[in-house]
Amino acid sequence: MSAGVAARFDPRAILASMERSGATYMIIGGLARVLRGADEITTGVDICPIVTVPNLARLERALDELEARRVDGGDLVVSEQSLSDNNVLELTSPYGALKVVTAPAGVPRGFVALRAAATKENLGHGLQPYVASAGDLAAMAAALHRDQDVTRLPQLRRIMELEVDRGTIAPPTHARSQTPLVRRESSERTGRRRD
Amino acid sequence: MRPDTVKSAALLREARLRAGLSQVALAERCGKDRVQIGRWEAGAVAPSLDTLLELIQACGLDLPLTLVERAPSIAGEHLAKLQRLSPERRLDRMLDDLASGEGGV
Repeated sequence: MSAGVAARFDPRAILASMERSGATYMIIGGLARVLRGADEITTGVDICPIVTVPNLARLERALDELEARRVDGGDLVVSEQSLSDNNVLELTSPYGALKVVTAPAGVPRGFVALRAAATKENLGHGLQPYVASAGDLAAMAAALHRDQDVTRLPQLRRIMELEVDRGTIAPPTHARSQTPLVRRESSERTGRRRD
Repeated sequence: MRPDTVKSAALLREARLRAGLSQVALAERCGKDRVQIGRWEAGAVAPSLDTLLELIQACGLDLPLTLVERAPSIAGEHLAKLQRLSPERRLDRMLDDLASGEGGV
């Protein structure tokens, strides 16, 4: 099968390559919303990796194994520079679409910031990736300002309510809530940043 | 502890920590009692909405509030059912829907 023609979306095959390579990453986007309980369909895997030289080398190995190709036909180079130039790397693979996003909308610090509220989830087949929290997924969707993302906010908010009801979200002793707080305009900011 | 108390407590604590403030510093900044702030953060009682917004703004943050329609599909039990599934089962369910052609991509 040639790259770019996904016979069937197989997210576990994509994630298994990531696991075999030892790359550290977090699932974001539509697949993360599904894993958090959203009622939607997705045919792609969006990931946010740690941007370090060793981790990007591991990520590159995984993408090689997946026979991933850039959607725009350009050369696939995984480096700090290339990811800085292209915040979103849109790829195709025989197992479905794959996006590598280093600084998601609303979360410019990427993996490091998302990690605080993320959890590792068992997806079977020995896969246990980090999945962004419902709160962070809502923050990312809101930051995109796209109609299709804005319409997802009520569902994500409902999921957050249900997580509270079930006691599965971070309790008050945790450093992050599940509701997006936004930083005030810089002229109004007071206090030091610590997140 | 009621869910709304948990949420306001978590929001207040997150805002204060993100501002790098102690409870004492936040109390001084907004003219509140430190002990009261501790009770709000512990979820013992919930602050009023106005007070919560005031405290969050004192941390240099905003909590935008907007009213949105609840979509019929999420007002019922459907999402609650999905919540009762494990992430593994949620993934399998989505893939089943996709294979059966229910999913528009």
